[in-house]
Amino acid sequence: MIRLRRIGFGIAGWVVAVTAAHFALNVNWPVLMNDRLPEAARKLNVAYIPVT
Amino acid sequence: MTDYISAYSQAGHLFIPRLFQGFPEIKEALMSNKMQAAFMVAPMAIALRAQGVPVKIVYLGHRYGSAVVVRKDGPVKSFADLRGRIVAIPSRFSDERLIIYRALAANGMSARDVRMIEMAPPDVAGALAAGAVDAFSMGEPFPSQAEMAGFGRVLFHARQYWPDYISCVLVVRQDVIDRRPEAVQVLVDGIARSGLWLEEKERRRQHREHAADFVGRYYYRQDPKLLRWALLQPIDRVKYEPLSPRRADFELIVRMMVETGVLEKPIPFEDFVDTRFAEGAQTMTPWKYEAGDSSAK
Repeated sequence: MIRLRRIGFGIAGWVVAVTAAHFALNVNWPVLMNDRLPEAARKLNVAYIPVT
Repeated sequence: MTDYISAYSQAGHLFIPRLFQGFPEIKEALMSNKMQAAFMVAPMAIALRAQGVPVKIVYLGHRYGSAVVVRKDGPVKSFADLRGRIVAIPSRFSDERLIIYRALAANGMSARDVRMIEMAPPDVAGALAAGAVDAFSMGEPFPSQAEMAGFGRVLFHARQYWPDYISCVLVVRQDVIDRRPEAVQVLVDGIARSGLWLEEKERRRQHREHAADFVGRYYYRQDPKLLRWALLQPIDRVKYEPLSPRRADFELIVRMMVETGVLEKPIPFEDFVDTRFAEGAQTMTPWKYEAGDSSAK
């Protein structure tokens, strides 16, 4: 029973860690937050390509 | 570059830069309002406007910075040797295509003498190395990439056939211009200041070296050595001043677009350029910022 509980905590901990890492590394927070601001306060999204 | 330096300023980030890998994707993002502004090749911006898309050119990204590159050990030694060969261009709506037409005319050749194919900019150097194309006409840093890797040789720089050549321009949606002109002015001012910073006489080399470093690492995801080459070999390979859109430059592009069959009829300069933001940026001064500074002014 204790062993099962440990495995459960381990899996839960792993899921939380991977989720946190995903949110930190893969989510573009400035863009997400900017899109939620009122239009007048929003920064412009400017597209560019890696040329000159 | 403007984004990086402005982050150190009191105003903070002035806009949100978003990296794309090709011009068609940028066009779609602009039309669907996912992007409110974009850097794109001038003929594409003009073509969009001619098709009724509500956008305007408000500033330039740079001058010069495009070149035609061939294989270093290949048979093409002069422009005339391109007869019957394949040349990669970024888009049929690009100045890099028009420069080929100018070179053809200057060498007594016609469009039938070369075969131009469209290719995404990041792919051209590899295509030249593999022999899939005989030459490419492209903006930096791809000519530098082929040169640095040792397989490419610049046949000619755009300035040879086109004085004051322009390529990328800043395009803004008309609804943004109408509703938030102050945000557009902030953006243009920041770009103007960055251009002046890169061209600042005594510190020009140092500023370009520093810009190559942070733009390569954080924005272009390219080796800073490559951008250093593009910005310094020679130092006027790409110019960042003057960046105001001039009527004569754009009327020439429109004329050439009509002549080369990518624009049905000429459109007036005022229909696709809004000069008020460039006029507003005329009093701008270079950023006061050096490598390692904790603040920019």
